[in-house]
Amino acid sequence: MPSYSELTAVVGFRSTNAAYKLVTQLVDHGWLEKDTAGKLLPGPRFHAVPVLGTVTAGFPSPAEEELADTMSLDEYLITNKEATYILKVNGESMIGAGILPGDMLLVERGAEARDGDIVIAQVDREWTMKFFRKRGRRVFLEAANQDFKPIYPTEELQIAAVVRAVIRKYT
Amino acid sequence: MEPLTLSTFPRAIVHIDGDAFFASCEQSRRPKLQGRPVVTGKERGIAASMSYEAKARGVTRGMRIADIRKVCPDAVILPSDYETYSLLSKRFFAIVRRYTPDVEEYSIDECFADLTGLRRPLKMNYFEIAARIKKELDAELGFTFSVGLAPNKVVAKIASKWAKPSGLTAIPGKELHRYLAQLPVEKVWGIGPNTTALLQKHDIRTALEFARASEDWVKKYFSKPFFQIWQELNGAYVFELAIGEHETYYTIQKVKTFTPASSERAFVFAQLAKNIEHACIKIRKHKLAAQRVVIFLRTQQFRDFGLEVELTGPTQFPNDILRAVTPAFEELFSPQAAYRATGVILLKLTEAYYGQLDLFGEAIRMQRLSNLYESVDTLREKYGKHTVFLGASFLAHRSAQHDSERGHVPERKLELLPGETTRKRLGIPMFMGEVH
Repeated sequence: MPSYSELTAVVGFRSTNAAYKLVTQLVDHGWLEKDTAGKLLPGPRFHAVPVLGTVTAGFPSPAEEELADTMSLDEYLITNKEATYILKVNGESMIGAGILPGDMLLVERGAEARDGDIVIAQVDREWTMKFFRKRGRRVFLEAANQDFKPIYPTEELQIAAVVRAVIRKYT
Repeated sequence: MEPLTLSTFPRAIVHIDGDAFFASCEQSRRPKLQGRPVVTGKERGIAASMSYEAKARGVTRGMRIADIRKVCPDAVILPSDYETYSLLSKRFFAIVRRYTPDVEEYSIDECFADLTGLRRPLKMNYFEIAARIKKELDAELGFTFSVGLAPNKVVAKIASKWAKPSGLTAIPGKELHRYLAQLPVEKVWGIGPNTTALLQKHDIRTALEFARASEDWVKKYFSKPFFQIWQELNGAYVFELAIGEHETYYTIQKVKTFTPASSERAFVFAQLAKNIEHACIKIRKHKLAAQRVVIFLRTQQFRDFGLEVELTGPTQFPNDILRAVTPAFEELFSPQAAYRATGVILLKLTEAYYGQLDLFGEAIRMQRLSNLYESVDTLREKYGKHTVFLGASFLAHRSAQHDSERGHVPERKLELLPGETTRKRLGIPMFMGEVH
């Protein structure tokens, strides 16, 4: 780092006092630092380039930068974090849609069901998982299993949640 | 009637309160429980929360399970599942934070939020914003919340209570007097039985009568907090929101009930020791140290006896705290009494730091303890909470916390997914019951 008089000459100031003021500004903004003896050192902003990762044998590691555009499995499976619940499947009513007893579901509560969605509805104080079907103004629930009859609601259909993902973990 | 103030919402503060929060968490995940009287707190032997159906049948908070069965034989009494309640509580605050960062997490089931200045960016008036927050909470958490909108916290509290459950009440400043005229003064947040008695001596019965009292009179008879309540009842904004997620622990508290009640000195002390160990786990997790400790013993008659102990220096280790509180325990414990709970509160928390060397080798001793507990914490993380514990709490670990622990474990802890253990589960609430 230059001394005050060297700096005065470089910048073309008339007095070292002007250089001193400039340095004070640069220190305030983090470009320079003073050590205990008052000597100037490069400040934290001097090298303020993003550090992307440690470099080993002279070749830059692009890993960190590339990973910025990846997401976790959580982020991939869950859109609305606050409204997502899990549940375990017991019945076989959706076997034709590939959902088996013991599977785990990620469901979104309060989401609006569209025709063809798999939903968790509340029927006779039980959870039931079915396809949500909409024919004109009429809605009904349909299983993916011929042993189950479609459910035509007599009162308002209570849809608790829409199924967003099925997880089957093998241990 | 003359209004107390002419402005509407110089500040827009909402108070949001989960309706029968714990019981609602249970009802919303089990359709079988909907419309039925539900009570939580089975593991403690008393009602911690009850659904509106149970309230209608005369069940009150703190009521003993045996009495609940008498007044409401068909009540569904469940053990508390604090893990799930906490998960839902976090979601509650996160949903409110979609609208404003200024949220005070007042307790597990209530918060305050400052909506001031949001009308333009959201293109909605304050009532519409409050309604929207309520709609999202109700839909995404699956049970109802009561929302009060007002110019300050004291009035927002009044507003949220106005039409519980599932209420949405706005009290603009210029309408304030109409609400306060109907409200008994003891219903105001912060006004307790003593203050109410004093107010009644001066013929003040409604919140409006208190609000209309002169400033000089209020200052003469009451301390500062009551003067501030008086200011807020007149529409001013005085009590600031304590914003931020609850990451700063001003005190750390562990209380644990056990049944049956015990008069056995060693057993009660072991219970206290176990609580101290748990509190220390938490304090180490937050890298804090306590300088003062309160211990208390609760008798079968629900009377608490406590003592405060100043420690010689800040610590985060149960060995130090146990040694310091033993004389206090001896003083509190009476062999004639039967105890049902012990508790510990760690106070005056500072950041843990044992850098300073001293003449008596205290720093070296602390370093040793620190190394020891680093290993203890590693073991705990790997093998679970009670892998290693102090001999002092042995008696409390030997037996189950409650006489009949069966039926006292929340269903979620039994309903494990593949790969989950009793110690670690997915941090996502689960719908319970059969899915067909």
